[in-house]
Amino acid sequence: MTRRKAIAFFVAFCVLLVAAAVSLNIGWIVINARSITPLILGVATFALIITGIIVYTVFLVMEIKRNEDHDTFINAVTHELKTPIASIKLYLETLQSRALTEEQRRHFYGVMLADADRLHRTVDQVLKAGIVREKRKAGPRSPVDIGAIARECVDLAVVRHHLPPSAVALDTQADQRLMVLGEADDLRTVISNLVDNAVKYSGESVRVTVALAAPTPETVWVRVQDRGIGIPHKQLKRIFNRFYRVQTRGLKQVKGTGLGLYIVRTIAKAHGGRVFAQSEGEGRGATFTVELPRLARV
Amino acid sequence: MSRVLIVEDEQHLADGLRFNLEAEGHQAIIVCDGVQALDRLLTERDHYDAVILDVMLPGKDGFEVASSLRAAGQYVPILMLTARGRPEDVLRGFESGADDYLPKPFELAIFLARLRGLLRRRRWSQQEVAAAPAPANGAVPDVFSFAGRTLDFSTMEIRARDGSHPLTLMECQLLRYLVKNAGKPVSRKAILEDVWDLHESTDTRAIDNFIVRLRRYLEDNPASPRFLLTVRGVGYKFVPTV
Repeated sequence: MTRRKAIAFFVAFCVLLVAAAVSLNIGWIVINARSITPLILGVATFALIITGIIVYTVFLVMEIKRNEDHDTFINAVTHELKTPIASIKLYLETLQSRALTEEQRRHFYGVMLADADRLHRTVDQVLKAGIVREKRKAGPRSPVDIGAIARECVDLAVVRHHLPPSAVALDTQADQRLMVLGEADDLRTVISNLVDNAVKYSGESVRVTVALAAPTPETVWVRVQDRGIGIPHKQLKRIFNRFYRVQTRGLKQVKGTGLGLYIVRTIAKAHGGRVFAQSEGEGRGATFTVELPRLARV
Repeated sequence: MSRVLIVEDEQHLADGLRFNLEAEGHQAIIVCDGVQALDRLLTERDHYDAVILDVMLPGKDGFEVASSLRAAGQYVPILMLTARGRPEDVLRGFESGADDYLPKPFELAIFLARLRGLLRRRRWSQQEVAAAPAPANGAVPDVFSFAGRTLDFSTMEIRARDGSHPLTLMECQLLRYLVKNAGKPVSRKAILEDVWDLHESTDTRAIDNFIVRLRRYLEDNPASPRFLLTVRGVGYKFVPTV
Protein backbone atom coordinates (compact mmCIF):
# COMPACT_ATOMS: atom_id res chain seq x y z
CA MET A 1 0.00 0.00 0.00
CA THR A 2 2.59 2.53 1.07
CA ARG A 3 4.79 1.41 -1.82
CA ARG A 4 2.01 2.05 -4.27
CA LYS A 5 1.62 5.51 -2.77
CA ALA A 6 5.36 6.12 -3.06
CA ILE A 7 5.28 5.12 -6.73
CA ALA A 8 2.29 7.38 -7.38
CA PHE A 9 4.06 10.25 -5.64
CA PHE A 10 7.28 9.92 -7.62
CA VAL A 11 5.46 9.57 -10.93
CA ALA A 12 3.36 12.67 -10.16
CA PHE A 13 6.48 14.55 -9.09
CA CYS A 14 8.20 13.55 -12.33
CA VAL A 15 5.27 14.77 -14.43
CA LEU A 16 5.33 18.06 -12.52
CA LEU A 17 9.08 18.53 -13.08
CA VAL A 18 8.81 17.64 -16.75
CA ALA A 19 5.93 20.10 -17.16
CA ALA A 20 7.98 22.81 -15.43
CA ALA A 21 10.98 22.06 -17.65
CA VAL A 22 8.84 22.09 -20.79
CA SER A 23 7.27 25.46 -19.93
CA LEU A 24 10.72 26.90 -19.11
CA ASN A 25 11.91 25.51 -22.42
CA ILE A 26 9.04 27.21 -24.26
CA GLY A 27 9.85 30.46 -22.44
CA TRP A 28 13.46 30.14 -23.47
CA ILE A 29 12.47 29.58 -27.10
CA VAL A 30 10.21 32.64 -27.05
CA ILE A 31 12.88 34.87 -25.46
CA ASN A 32 15.73 33.67 -27.67
CA ALA A 33 13.73 33.29 -30.87
CA ARG A 34 16.16 35.52 -32.77
CA SER A 35 19.57 34.23 -31.60
CA ILE A 36 20.36 30.77 -32.82
CA THR A 37 23.23 29.68 -30.49
CA PRO A 38 21.53 30.16 -27.08
CA LEU A 39 18.35 28.75 -28.58
CA ILE A 40 19.99 25.48 -29.65
CA LEU A 41 22.08 25.23 -26.46
CA GLY A 42 19.05 25.88 -24.28
CA VAL A 43 16.77 23.43 -26.04
CA ALA A 44 19.48 20.75 -25.89
CA THR A 45 20.04 21.34 -22.17
CA PHE A 46 16.34 21.21 -21.40
CA ALA A 47 15.97 18.04 -23.45
CA LEU A 48 18.79 16.52 -21.40
CA ILE A 49 17.19 17.58 -18.10
CA ILE A 50 13.81 16.16 -19.12
CA THR A 51 15.34 12.88 -20.22
CA GLY A 52 17.25 12.77 -16.95
CA ILE A 53 14.14 13.28 -14.86
CA ILE A 54 12.28 10.54 -16.73
CA VAL A 55 15.18 8.10 -16.55
CA TYR A 56 15.58 8.66 -12.82
CA THR A 57 11.90 8.19 -12.16
CA VAL A 58 11.71 5.00 -14.19
CA PHE A 59 14.75 3.70 -12.34
CA LEU A 60 13.28 4.64 -8.98
CA VAL A 61 9.95 2.98 -9.69
CA MET A 62 11.73 -0.15 -10.88
CA GLU A 63 13.79 -0.24 -7.69
CA ILE A 64 10.70 0.19 -5.52
CA LYS A 65 9.05 -2.71 -7.35
CA ARG A 66 12.15 -4.84 -7.04
CA ASN A 67 12.25 -4.05 -3.35
CA GLU A 68 8.67 -5.20 -3.03
CA ASP A 69 9.41 -8.49 -4.80
CA HIS A 70 12.39 -8.94 -2.52
CA ASP A 71 10.22 -8.48 0.55
CA THR A 72 7.76 -11.03 -0.78
CA PHE A 73 10.70 -13.36 -1.31
CA ILE A 74 12.01 -12.93 2.23
CA ASN A 75 8.54 -13.63 3.59
CA ALA A 76 8.10 -16.68 1.38
CA VAL A 77 11.52 -18.10 2.23
CA THR A 78 11.02 -17.44 5.93
CA HIS A 79 7.78 -19.35 5.73
CA GLU A 80 9.26 -22.14 3.57
CA LEU A 81 12.17 -22.60 5.97
CA LYS A 82 10.41 -22.20 9.27
CA THR A 83 7.33 -24.30 8.59
CA PRO A 84 9.14 -27.62 8.00
CA ILE A 85 11.52 -26.89 10.87
CA ALA A 86 8.58 -26.19 13.17
CA SER A 87 6.95 -29.40 12.03
CA ILE A 88 10.07 -31.54 12.48
CA LYS A 89 10.65 -30.03 15.90
CA LEU A 90 7.05 -30.63 16.93
CA TYR A 91 7.22 -34.30 15.91
CA LEU A 92 10.61 -34.83 17.57
CA GLU A 93 9.35 -33.34 20.81
CA THR A 94 6.25 -35.48 20.57
CA LEU A 95 8.40 -38.58 20.05
CA GLN A 96 10.52 -37.55 23.01
CA SER A 97 7.75 -36.78 25.46
CA ARG A 98 4.94 -39.21 24.71
CA ALA A 99 4.44 -42.93 24.75
CA LEU A 100 3.71 -43.99 21.18
CA THR A 101 2.91 -47.18 19.38
CA GLU A 102 5.33 -48.51 16.80
CA GLU A 103 2.89 -47.58 14.04
CA GLN A 104 2.60 -43.95 15.24
CA ARG A 105 6.37 -43.77 15.45
CA ARG A 106 6.75 -44.93 11.86
CA HIS A 107 4.14 -42.45 10.72
CA PHE A 108 5.93 -39.60 12.49
CA TYR A 109 9.25 -40.59 10.91
CA GLY A 110 7.59 -40.46 7.50
CA VAL A 111 6.19 -36.98 8.17
CA MET A 112 9.58 -35.72 9.36
CA LEU A 113 11.32 -37.15 6.30
CA ALA A 114 8.84 -35.38 4.03
CA ASP A 115 9.49 -32.13 5.89
CA ALA A 116 13.24 -32.63 5.65
CA ASP A 117 12.83 -33.12 1.89
CA ARG A 118 10.82 -29.94 1.62
CA LEU A 119 13.47 -28.06 3.56
CA HIS A 120 16.17 -29.52 1.35
CA ARG A 121 14.33 -28.46 -1.80
CA THR A 122 13.92 -24.89 -0.56
CA VAL A 123 17.58 -24.61 0.41
CA ASP A 124 18.60 -26.15 -2.92
CA GLN A 125 16.42 -23.72 -4.81
CA VAL A 126 17.89 -20.70 -3.02
CA LEU A 127 21.47 -21.92 -3.51
CA LYS A 128 20.85 -22.83 -7.14
CA ALA A 129 19.44 -19.36 -7.82
CA GLY A 130 22.64 -17.88 -6.45
CA ILE A 131 24.84 -20.20 -8.51
CA VAL A 132 23.07 -19.76 -11.86
CA ARG A 133 23.13 -16.01 -11.36
CA GLU A 134 26.88 -16.11 -10.80
CA LYS A 135 27.97 -18.29 -13.67
CA ARG A 136 25.54 -17.44 -16.48
CA LYS A 137 27.70 -18.90 -19.25
CA ALA A 138 30.69 -21.07 -18.29
CA GLY A 139 30.58 -24.68 -17.12
CA PRO A 140 31.73 -27.94 -18.64
CA ARG A 141 29.41 -29.02 -21.42
CA SER A 142 28.87 -32.49 -22.75
CA PRO A 143 26.34 -34.13 -25.06
CA VAL A 144 23.22 -34.90 -23.05
CA ASP A 145 20.27 -37.10 -24.00
CA ILE A 146 17.41 -34.79 -23.07
CA GLY A 147 14.88 -37.62 -23.36
CA ALA A 148 16.63 -39.64 -20.68
CA ILE A 149 16.73 -36.63 -18.39
CA ALA A 150 13.03 -35.95 -18.91
CA ARG A 151 12.29 -39.58 -18.00
CA GLU A 152 14.30 -39.25 -14.76
CA CYS A 153 12.49 -36.03 -13.84
CA VAL A 154 9.06 -37.50 -14.49
CA ASP A 155 9.83 -40.59 -12.40
CA LEU A 156 11.15 -38.44 -9.58
CA ALA A 157 8.10 -36.16 -9.63
CA VAL A 158 5.73 -39.12 -9.43
CA VAL A 159 7.54 -40.44 -6.36
CA ARG A 160 8.01 -37.04 -4.73
CA HIS A 161 4.39 -35.95 -5.02
CA HIS A 162 2.92 -39.41 -4.35
CA LEU A 163 1.13 -39.48 -7.70
CA PRO A 164 -0.22 -42.40 -9.70
CA PRO A 165 2.21 -43.05 -12.59
CA SER A 166 -0.45 -42.04 -15.11
CA ALA A 167 -0.68 -38.48 -13.70
CA VAL A 168 2.50 -37.39 -15.44
CA ALA A 169 2.75 -38.61 -19.03
CA LEU A 170 5.98 -38.53 -20.98
CA ASP A 171 5.99 -38.30 -24.74
CA THR A 172 9.51 -38.70 -26.09
CA GLN A 173 10.25 -38.88 -29.76
CA ALA A 174 10.89 -42.58 -29.65
CA ASP A 175 12.42 -42.82 -33.10
CA GLN A 176 15.32 -40.51 -32.40
CA ARG A 177 17.45 -39.51 -29.47
CA LEU A 178 17.40 -35.79 -28.99
CA MET A 179 20.79 -34.58 -27.86
CA VAL A 180 21.82 -31.16 -26.59
CA LEU A 181 25.16 -29.81 -25.45
CA GLY A 182 24.98 -28.81 -21.84
CA GLU A 183 25.20 -29.63 -18.18
CA ALA A 184 23.05 -32.61 -17.31
CA ASP A 185 22.54 -31.37 -13.75
CA ASP A 186 21.28 -27.96 -14.81
CA LEU A 187 18.99 -29.41 -17.46
CA ARG A 188 17.59 -31.77 -14.87
CA THR A 189 16.84 -28.76 -12.67
CA VAL A 190 15.05 -27.05 -15.56
CA ILE A 191 12.70 -29.95 -16.29
CA SER A 192 12.23 -30.82 -12.63
CA ASN A 193 11.24 -27.26 -11.73
CA LEU A 194 8.73 -27.13 -14.57
CA VAL A 195 7.21 -30.51 -13.71
CA ASP A 196 7.04 -29.61 -10.00
CA ASN A 197 5.28 -26.36 -10.85
CA ALA A 198 2.85 -28.15 -13.15
CA VAL A 199 1.95 -30.54 -10.33
CA LYS A 200 1.80 -27.81 -7.66
CA TYR A 201 -0.52 -25.59 -9.69
CA SER A 202 -2.75 -28.44 -10.83
CA GLY A 203 -4.84 -28.64 -7.70
CA GLU A 204 -6.59 -31.90 -6.92
CA SER A 205 -6.55 -33.67 -10.27
CA VAL A 206 -3.04 -33.77 -11.67
CA ARG A 207 -2.73 -34.37 -15.41
CA VAL A 208 0.65 -33.27 -16.68
CA THR A 209 2.25 -34.03 -20.03
CA VAL A 210 5.95 -33.71 -20.73
CA ALA A 211 6.59 -33.82 -24.46
CA LEU A 212 9.80 -33.68 -26.45
CA ALA A 213 9.89 -32.43 -30.00
CA ALA A 214 12.25 -31.19 -32.66
CA PRO A 215 10.40 -28.32 -34.36
CA THR A 216 13.39 -27.64 -36.62
CA PRO A 217 16.50 -29.72 -37.27
CA GLU A 218 18.52 -27.32 -35.10
CA THR A 219 16.26 -27.05 -32.05
CA VAL A 220 14.77 -29.22 -29.36
CA TRP A 221 11.57 -28.42 -27.45
CA VAL A 222 10.68 -29.69 -24.03
CA ARG A 223 7.05 -28.85 -23.34
CA VAL A 224 5.46 -29.25 -19.95
CA GLN A 225 1.71 -28.94 -20.06
CA ASP A 226 -0.76 -28.95 -17.20
CA ARG A 227 -4.50 -28.51 -16.86
CA GLY A 228 -4.27 -26.50 -13.68
CA ILE A 229 -5.17 -23.01 -12.55
CA GLY A 230 -3.56 -21.29 -15.54
CA ILE A 231 -1.82 -17.91 -15.71
CA PRO A 232 -3.44 -14.53 -16.43
CA HIS A 233 -2.25 -13.25 -19.79
CA LYS A 234 -0.57 -10.16 -18.32
CA GLN A 235 1.68 -12.21 -16.08
CA LEU A 236 3.03 -14.63 -18.71
CA LYS A 237 6.34 -12.74 -18.98
CA ARG A 238 6.74 -11.53 -15.42
CA ILE A 239 6.58 -15.02 -13.95
CA PHE A 240 10.17 -15.62 -15.02
CA ASN A 241 11.43 -12.67 -12.98
CA ARG A 242 13.35 -13.38 -9.83
CA PHE A 243 11.10 -13.50 -6.71
CA TYR A 244 7.95 -12.92 -8.76
CA ARG A 245 4.96 -14.99 -7.72
CA VAL A 246 1.63 -15.32 -9.45
CA GLN A 247 -1.12 -13.69 -7.44
CA THR A 248 -3.62 -16.49 -7.00
CA ARG A 249 -7.02 -15.16 -6.14
CA GLY A 250 -8.56 -18.53 -5.38
CA LEU A 251 -8.57 -20.28 -2.06
CA LYS A 252 -5.69 -22.55 -2.91
CA GLN A 253 -2.52 -20.66 -2.21
CA VAL A 254 0.56 -22.35 -3.62
CA LYS A 255 3.64 -22.08 -1.49
CA GLY A 256 7.02 -21.34 -3.00
CA THR A 257 10.02 -19.04 -3.12
CA GLY A 258 9.51 -17.34 -6.48
CA LEU A 259 12.83 -18.68 -7.72
CA GLY A 260 11.91 -21.79 -9.72
CA LEU A 261 11.11 -20.17 -13.07
CA TYR A 262 13.90 -17.64 -12.69
CA ILE A 263 16.33 -20.56 -12.42
CA VAL A 264 14.72 -22.22 -15.44
CA ARG A 265 15.09 -19.09 -17.57
CA THR A 266 18.66 -18.41 -16.47
CA ILE A 267 19.78 -21.96 -17.24
CA ALA A 268 17.95 -22.02 -20.57
CA LYS A 269 19.65 -18.77 -21.57
CA ALA A 270 23.07 -20.04 -20.48
CA HIS A 271 22.52 -23.00 -22.81
CA GLY A 272 21.77 -20.66 -25.70
CA GLY A 273 18.07 -21.39 -25.51
CA ARG A 274 14.93 -19.76 -24.15
CA VAL A 275 11.77 -20.55 -22.29
CA PHE A 276 8.24 -19.22 -22.72
CA ALA A 277 4.85 -19.77 -21.19
CA GLN A 278 1.43 -20.02 -22.79
CA SER A 279 -1.92 -20.12 -21.11
CA GLU A 280 -5.49 -19.84 -22.28
CA GLY A 281 -6.13 -17.87 -19.11
CA GLU A 282 -7.11 -18.56 -15.54
CA GLY A 283 -8.40 -22.05 -14.88
CA ARG A 284 -7.38 -23.34 -18.28
CA GLY A 285 -3.92 -24.74 -17.65
CA ALA A 286 -0.51 -23.62 -18.82
CA THR A 287 2.21 -24.82 -21.15
CA PHE A 288 5.88 -24.10 -20.63
CA THR A 289 8.25 -24.62 -23.54
CA VAL A 290 12.02 -24.78 -23.23
CA GLU A 291 13.79 -24.38 -26.54
CA LEU A 292 17.39 -25.57 -26.69
CA PRO A 293 19.87 -25.77 -29.57
CA ARG A 294 20.02 -29.35 -30.80
CA LEU A 295 23.30 -31.13 -31.06
CA ALA A 296 23.67 -32.52 -34.58
CA ARG A 297 24.29 -36.24 -34.68
CA VAL A 298 28.02 -36.85 -34.32
CA MET B 1 -11.94 -31.51 28.26
CA SER B 2 -11.81 -28.47 26.04
CA ARG B 3 -12.67 -28.06 22.41
CA VAL B 4 -9.90 -26.41 20.43
CA LEU B 5 -10.11 -25.22 16.84
CA ILE B 6 -6.84 -25.45 14.89
CA VAL B 7 -6.72 -23.11 11.89
CA GLU B 8 -3.62 -24.19 9.96
CA ASP B 9 -3.07 -24.94 6.29
CA GLU B 10 0.13 -26.93 6.80
CA GLN B 11 -1.21 -30.45 7.12
CA HIS B 12 1.81 -31.82 9.03
CA LEU B 13 1.77 -29.11 11.67
CA ALA B 14 -1.99 -29.30 12.09
CA ASP B 15 -1.88 -33.09 12.54
CA GLY B 16 1.03 -32.85 14.99
CA LEU B 17 -0.80 -30.25 17.06
CA ARG B 18 -4.00 -32.26 17.06
CA PHE B 19 -2.15 -35.36 18.17
CA ASN B 20 -0.68 -33.49 21.13
CA LEU B 21 -3.92 -31.80 22.09
CA GLU B 22 -5.73 -35.11 22.02
CA ALA B 23 -2.96 -36.65 24.10
CA GLU B 24 -3.61 -33.88 26.63
CA GLY B 25 -7.25 -34.88 26.74
CA HIS B 26 -8.68 -32.11 24.55
CA GLN B 27 -10.82 -32.35 21.49
CA ALA B 28 -9.17 -30.76 18.45
CA ILE B 29 -10.80 -29.82 15.16
CA ILE B 30 -8.74 -28.76 12.15
CA VAL B 31 -9.79 -26.31 9.45
CA CYS B 32 -7.34 -25.23 6.78
CA ASP B 33 -8.34 -21.68 5.90
CA GLY B 34 -9.69 -18.50 7.38
CA VAL B 35 -13.07 -18.60 5.70
CA GLN B 36 -13.84 -22.02 7.15
CA ALA B 37 -12.70 -20.82 10.56
CA LEU B 38 -15.11 -17.88 10.44
CA ASP B 39 -17.87 -20.21 9.28
CA ARG B 40 -17.35 -22.43 12.27
CA LEU B 41 -17.01 -19.66 14.82
CA LEU B 42 -19.56 -17.12 13.59
CA THR B 43 -22.12 -18.70 11.31
CA GLU B 44 -22.48 -22.10 12.91
CA ARG B 45 -21.69 -20.74 16.40
CA ASP B 46 -19.99 -23.97 17.29
CA HIS B 47 -18.65 -23.85 20.79
CA TYR B 48 -14.86 -23.74 21.14
CA ASP B 49 -12.76 -23.00 24.20
CA ALA B 50 -9.75 -21.77 22.26
CA VAL B 51 -8.51 -21.19 18.72
CA ILE B 52 -4.98 -21.88 17.44
CA LEU B 53 -4.65 -19.49 14.51
CA ASP B 54 -1.94 -19.50 11.84
CA VAL B 55 -1.25 -16.16 10.12
CA MET B 56 -0.25 -17.14 6.59
CA LEU B 57 -3.48 -18.72 5.45
CA PRO B 58 -4.92 -18.94 1.96
CA GLY B 59 -7.70 -16.45 1.32
CA LYS B 60 -8.22 -14.51 4.55
CA ASP B 61 -5.08 -14.32 6.68
CA GLY B 62 -4.95 -14.84 10.44
CA PHE B 63 -4.96 -11.12 11.27
CA GLU B 64 -8.17 -10.63 9.29
CA VAL B 65 -9.76 -13.68 10.89
CA ALA B 66 -8.95 -12.46 14.40
CA SER B 67 -10.28 -8.96 13.80
CA SER B 68 -13.46 -10.26 12.11
CA LEU B 69 -14.10 -12.50 15.12
CA ARG B 70 -13.65 -9.67 17.60
CA ALA B 71 -15.74 -7.27 15.53
CA ALA B 72 -18.56 -9.81 15.55
CA GLY B 73 -18.41 -10.18 19.33
CA GLN B 74 -16.75 -13.60 19.34
CA TYR B 75 -14.31 -13.45 22.25
CA VAL B 76 -12.97 -16.99 22.21
CA PRO B 77 -9.28 -17.02 23.29
CA ILE B 78 -6.93 -16.93 20.28
CA LEU B 79 -3.37 -18.20 20.28
CA MET B 80 -1.61 -17.03 17.13
CA LEU B 81 1.01 -19.35 15.79
CA THR B 82 3.11 -18.08 12.94
CA ALA B 83 6.40 -18.06 11.07
CA ARG B 84 6.44 -14.27 11.30
CA GLY B 85 8.26 -13.32 14.46
CA ARG B 86 9.21 -9.70 13.81
CA PRO B 87 8.09 -7.22 16.49
CA GLU B 88 5.71 -5.46 14.08
CA ASP B 89 4.05 -8.78 13.27
CA VAL B 90 3.63 -9.61 16.95
CA LEU B 91 2.12 -6.18 17.59
CA ARG B 92 -0.21 -6.55 14.64
CA GLY B 93 -1.30 -9.92 16.00
CA PHE B 94 -2.25 -8.48 19.36
CA GLU B 95 -3.91 -5.47 17.76
CA SER B 96 -6.08 -7.70 15.61
CA GLY B 97 -7.37 -9.40 18.73
CA ALA B 98 -5.07 -12.31 19.54
CA ASP B 99 -4.65 -13.21 23.22
CA ASP B 100 -1.25 -14.77 22.79
CA TYR B 101 1.35 -15.02 20.04
CA LEU B 102 3.92 -17.74 19.47
CA PRO B 103 6.42 -17.66 16.61
CA LYS B 104 7.28 -20.88 14.76
CA PRO B 105 9.27 -22.96 15.42
CA PHE B 106 8.08 -23.29 19.00
CA GLU B 107 8.72 -25.58 21.96
CA LEU B 108 5.90 -28.06 22.38
CA ALA B 109 5.93 -27.68 26.18
CA ILE B 110 5.69 -23.88 25.94
CA PHE B 111 2.90 -24.10 23.40
CA LEU B 112 0.90 -26.42 25.63
CA ALA B 113 1.57 -24.27 28.69
CA ARG B 114 0.35 -21.14 26.93
CA LEU B 115 -2.76 -22.89 25.70
CA ARG B 116 -3.41 -24.16 29.22
CA GLY B 117 -3.05 -20.59 30.44
CA LEU B 118 -5.68 -19.37 27.98
CA LEU B 119 -8.09 -22.17 28.84
CA ARG B 120 -7.59 -21.56 32.55
CA ARG B 121 -8.26 -17.84 32.18
CA ARG B 122 -11.45 -18.63 30.26
CA ARG B 123 -12.61 -21.02 32.95
CA TRP B 124 -11.90 -18.48 35.68
CA SER B 125 -13.81 -15.72 33.97
CA GLN B 126 -16.76 -18.03 33.39
CA GLN B 127 -16.72 -18.93 37.09
CA GLU B 128 -16.58 -15.24 37.97
CA VAL B 129 -19.61 -14.53 35.84
CA ALA B 130 -21.49 -17.47 37.26
CA ALA B 131 -20.57 -16.77 40.88
CA ALA B 132 -20.93 -13.01 41.00
CA PRO B 133 -23.31 -11.49 38.48
CA ALA B 134 -22.36 -8.07 37.26
CA PRO B 135 -23.76 -5.32 39.50
CA ALA B 136 -25.86 -3.96 36.67
CA ASN B 137 -27.73 -7.22 36.54
CA GLY B 138 -28.92 -7.03 40.13
CA ALA B 139 -30.55 -10.09 41.63
CA VAL B 140 -31.29 -12.21 38.62
CA PRO B 141 -31.49 -15.89 39.48
CA ASP B 142 -29.03 -18.26 37.80
CA VAL B 143 -31.84 -20.14 36.17
CA PHE B 144 -34.80 -18.42 34.56
CA SER B 145 -37.60 -20.31 32.85
CA PHE B 146 -40.42 -19.12 30.63
CA ALA B 147 -42.62 -20.64 27.93
CA GLY B 148 -40.80 -23.96 27.93
CA ARG B 149 -37.37 -22.37 27.67
CA THR B 150 -34.76 -22.32 30.38
CA LEU B 151 -31.95 -19.81 30.55
CA ASP B 152 -29.15 -21.21 32.67
CA PHE B 153 -26.62 -18.47 33.43
CA SER B 154 -24.39 -20.72 35.53
CA THR B 155 -23.73 -23.18 32.71
CA MET B 156 -24.12 -20.46 30.07
CA GLU B 157 -26.69 -22.17 27.92
CA ILE B 158 -30.27 -22.01 26.74
CA ARG B 159 -32.33 -25.15 27.01
CA ALA B 160 -35.44 -25.50 24.92
CA ARG B 161 -37.52 -28.32 23.55
CA ASP B 162 -35.25 -28.75 20.55
CA GLY B 163 -32.06 -29.03 22.62
CA SER B 164 -29.59 -26.66 24.20
CA HIS B 165 -27.51 -23.81 22.77
CA PRO B 166 -24.27 -22.69 24.37
CA LEU B 167 -24.06 -18.95 25.05
CA THR B 168 -21.07 -16.70 24.83
CA LEU B 169 -20.15 -14.53 27.77
CA MET B 170 -21.64 -11.40 26.23
CA GLU B 171 -24.81 -13.15 25.11
CA CYS B 172 -25.21 -14.36 28.67
CA GLN B 173 -24.78 -10.89 30.17
CA LEU B 174 -27.13 -9.31 27.65
CA LEU B 175 -29.81 -11.91 28.41
CA ARG B 176 -29.41 -11.39 32.14
CA TYR B 177 -29.88 -7.68 31.63
CA LEU B 178 -33.01 -8.22 29.53
CA VAL B 179 -34.42 -10.63 32.10
CA LYS B 180 -33.78 -8.10 34.87
CA ASN B 181 -35.66 -5.46 32.88
CA ALA B 182 -38.37 -7.83 31.68
CA GLY B 183 -41.49 -6.06 30.51
CA LYS B 184 -39.75 -2.67 30.28
CA PRO B 185 -38.34 -1.24 27.07
CA VAL B 186 -34.57 -0.72 27.23
CA SER B 187 -32.69 1.56 24.87
CA ARG B 188 -29.66 0.47 22.88
CA LYS B 189 -27.66 3.15 24.64
CA ALA B 190 -28.62 1.80 28.07
CA ILE B 191 -27.64 -1.71 26.96
CA LEU B 192 -24.26 -0.49 25.74
CA GLU B 193 -23.63 1.34 29.00
CA ASP B 194 -24.88 -1.28 31.41
CA VAL B 195 -23.86 -4.50 29.68
CA TRP B 196 -20.80 -3.49 27.70
CA ASP B 197 -19.80 -0.64 29.97
CA LEU B 198 -19.29 1.56 26.90
CA HIS B 199 -20.05 5.24 27.38
CA GLU B 200 -18.79 6.67 24.12
CA SER B 201 -21.09 7.05 21.16
CA THR B 202 -20.34 3.59 19.89
CA ASP B 203 -22.06 2.05 16.91
CA THR B 204 -25.16 0.36 18.30
CA ARG B 205 -25.59 -2.10 15.46
CA ALA B 206 -23.46 -4.64 17.30
CA ILE B 207 -26.34 -5.04 19.73
CA ASP B 208 -28.76 -5.74 16.89
CA ASN B 209 -26.57 -8.66 15.80
CA PHE B 210 -26.70 -10.05 19.31
CA ILE B 211 -30.47 -9.69 19.42
CA VAL B 212 -30.78 -11.47 16.06
CA ARG B 213 -28.79 -14.36 17.49
CA LEU B 214 -30.71 -14.49 20.74
CA ARG B 215 -33.96 -14.53 18.79
CA ARG B 216 -32.69 -17.49 16.83
CA TYR B 217 -32.22 -19.37 20.11
CA LEU B 218 -35.40 -18.23 21.81
CA GLU B 219 -38.09 -17.67 19.25
CA ASP B 220 -40.08 -20.24 17.34
CA ASN B 221 -40.11 -17.86 14.41
CA PRO B 222 -37.22 -15.39 14.68
CA ALA B 223 -38.75 -13.23 11.93
CA SER B 224 -41.82 -12.40 14.04
CA PRO B 225 -40.59 -12.51 17.63
CA ARG B 226 -42.91 -13.10 20.57
CA PHE B 227 -40.52 -12.64 23.49
CA LEU B 228 -37.72 -10.38 22.31
CA LEU B 229 -39.54 -7.42 20.80
CA THR B 230 -38.22 -4.39 18.99
CA VAL B 231 -39.53 -1.10 20.38
CA ARG B 232 -39.34 1.33 17.49
CA GLY B 233 -37.16 4.33 18.12
CA VAL B 234 -36.14 3.04 21.55
CA GLY B 235 -34.59 -0.39 21.62
CA TYR B 236 -35.81 -3.72 22.82
CA LYS B 237 -38.26 -5.25 25.26
CA PHE B 238 -38.15 -8.73 26.73
CA VAL B 239 -41.62 -10.18 27.36
CA PRO B 240 -41.43 -13.63 28.97
CA THR B 241 -45.07 -14.58 28.34
CA VAL B 242 -46.18 -18.14 28.76
